[in-house]
Amino acid sequence: MARGSRRWIVGALVIGLAVIFLAGPAAAGEKIKIRFQTWHWGEKPWVTALDAFKDDFNKANPDIEVVRDESRYADKETVYTATSQAKAAADIAHFQHRPIPMFAERGYLMPLDSFIQKEGGQKFLALYDQAALEVCKYKGKIYCLPDFVNPMGMLINMAHYKEVGLDPTKPPANWDQLVEYAKKLTTGSRYGIGLIGARQEGLFMRLNPFIWGAGGEFLTPDGKHSAMDTPEFLAGFKFYVDLFTKYKVVPPGVIEQGAQEVRTQVAFEKVSMNVSVPQAWKIVQAINPNMKVLETLTAVPVPAGPKKMATAAEYGMRVISAFTKHPDAAWKVYKSWYSHDIQLRNFQIAAVLSARLDVKNGPEMQNDKFARVYSAQAQFAKLEPRIPEWPKIGDAVITATQEAFSGMKTPEQALKDAHTAANRILSGQ
Amino acid sequence: MRSGHAWHDRHIGYLFVLPATLMLVVVLIFPAFITLKASVTPQGGAGWHFTLAHYQKTLHDPVLLQTFKNTFAFVAWSLVGHFILGLSLALALNQALPGQTFFRLVALIPWTIPDVVAGIFFRWVLNPIHGAMNPLIRMVFPSFPAEFTWLSNPTLAFPSVIIANVWRGYPLVMVMLLAGLMAIPRELYEAAAVDGAGRLRRFFHITLPGLSTIITIALALDMVWEFRRFALVVAMTGGGPGTLTEVLSTLVYKTYFQFFTFEYASAMAILMSAVLFVLSLPYIILVGRER
Repeated sequence: MARGSRRWIVGALVIGLAVIFLAGPAAAGEKIKIRFQTWHWGEKPWVTALDAFKDDFNKANPDIEVVRDESRYADKETVYTATSQAKAAADIAHFQHRPIPMFAERGYLMPLDSFIQKEGGQKFLALYDQAALEVCKYKGKIYCLPDFVNPMGMLINMAHYKEVGLDPTKPPANWDQLVEYAKKLTTGSRYGIGLIGARQEGLFMRLNPFIWGAGGEFLTPDGKHSAMDTPEFLAGFKFYVDLFTKYKVVPPGVIEQGAQEVRTQVAFEKVSMNVSVPQAWKIVQAINPNMKVLETLTAVPVPAGPKKMATAAEYGMRVISAFTKHPDAAWKVYKSWYSHDIQLRNFQIAAVLSARLDVKNGPEMQNDKFARVYSAQAQFAKLEPRIPEWPKIGDAVITATQEAFSGMKTPEQALKDAHTAANRILSGQ
Repeated sequence: MRSGHAWHDRHIGYLFVLPATLMLVVVLIFPAFITLKASVTPQGGAGWHFTLAHYQKTLHDPVLLQTFKNTFAFVAWSLVGHFILGLSLALALNQALPGQTFFRLVALIPWTIPDVVAGIFFRWVLNPIHGAMNPLIRMVFPSFPAEFTWLSNPTLAFPSVIIANVWRGYPLVMVMLLAGLMAIPRELYEAAAVDGAGRLRRFFHITLPGLSTIITIALALDMVWEFRRFALVVAMTGGGPGTLTEVLSTLVYKTYFQFFTFEYASAMAILMSAVLFVLSLPYIILVGRER
């Protein structure tokens, strides 16, 4: 090879490598970009609220740009874990309450205490639902503010009720009535109630009201052993499973059905009832714009169990990454999201129940046909155990639920195996 | 001067392979090292503290044991399906027929579809309420249940996933076997035909021996692919019902990203890699011999 051409080749290689390894991102403009991550960017009607927030904030703050960062519901924790390990997580991210302690333990989240102190400390925190705020605390620090508090209720199709001679103003008050109504509503290719059986956290929000309503608990009071072997727990678990296997009031393929599938069944009137989050009616409307949701659906409480009235809740939280390069700008965006006007708009567009008390107790939420019913369930709501072992225990419970739904095991055997697995997990094995 | 040029000539090759080598280190070697380190780090620990507790735990984990069994069954049946379908289509596409090129292209289509898309596709098709499978079957067998469940059925969920995987992955084996078939001299078949050998004898005495090396290589490569199958299973069943369709890759993913037990998941991943390496030895030896 001629010396001259060899030098050209070597020179080109060196320059190429230099470009690859030394070229950083294109020179940033003066704007600080804050990545605002949530799966709701891909979900109507939430995306309308998010776009409005982004546009308004960016207009009002020319030096900061809120940037859309999409995640997906199924793998939001996966993406956040992986990007956090690369110290490249989104500046602000959205989760439900469950992974907050795990993320905080791993150092992925920025404690907000110093920012909160500057805003007024306890006076600032008093603006928010105090029970939900407790969920944001971990080892003495605050890692988030509660965005929305969504107790579970039930959506019922009033037209279906009237068709079969039921009074929609008198929804099922207990389990016997739930079965009775669901059987009447199950006609031809339509089913009385939609349930979740897919492997997702939404399953617990539908299963737990029945567990707790029967008087069952996942753990013993000291939190060290499984309490899933009690007759009360079995009663609640078995009732949930029997709705599908014994009473046959749930559409087939329940194991394949997640929250969005069940909402789609509601939207296309495949089911007449659905245990749901407060914003479900808005999602149903977005799935089927032709459905006159306000005239067709109404919200009612989850029927009381044999022991008590109980329901589950979904707490939405936003967090700031410990690896954000612009903590002050991130806080500015964060604080803006949690302001009264934005929280109120989020409720108006997406129907989530804000954890901000002046919105929660305001006339808009109190007078809303759906919100006031769901909001009234908050007093009966509780969360599953907030322990590091919960994801594994929860997975064992989902496995048991699917095994019972599919007939692989009886509910008793499936639950017994889940109980054994939970105790093994809690003992550190 | 002359020795300088010689040094240059001897070493310039390293410069050319440097980008690829760096890429290999970043994408493969560094993550493997990090995973290995995590697998011997105490739970929630950091730094350079070592323990074999996670590996000890794998020996007593009933879920892991069941998942290994599922994975071996999944891989074995997938290989059988890929081989039978791949060989059948390769034999068919090796015939001089009109439209041969078109059919060869069509046969490759499943391979062009990403795993997750294929998984979602099959999930939709097999949906008991809205899927296309039940109505199609009812066109031929009207008494077939209208809302028959496939992926929720404990007997049919695993075969359904395997069938989807066979459909998705047969083109790899088919293409390799087709190349092998095209390399077998036609004269052998002609001579055998002259000697009175029928189709079956020609297949067993000419075709299969001629393809033996290619078959080993194809199945070995396919085994490595199938052992790592992830997106198709997650998209179709998520490992359910229960843990019936859970495979090693989905369990490692769940253990790492959902249970937040990074260290134990890393131990499972290293174990999985070790098993895969052992299973790949015949291929490695064969390729070594070929050289």
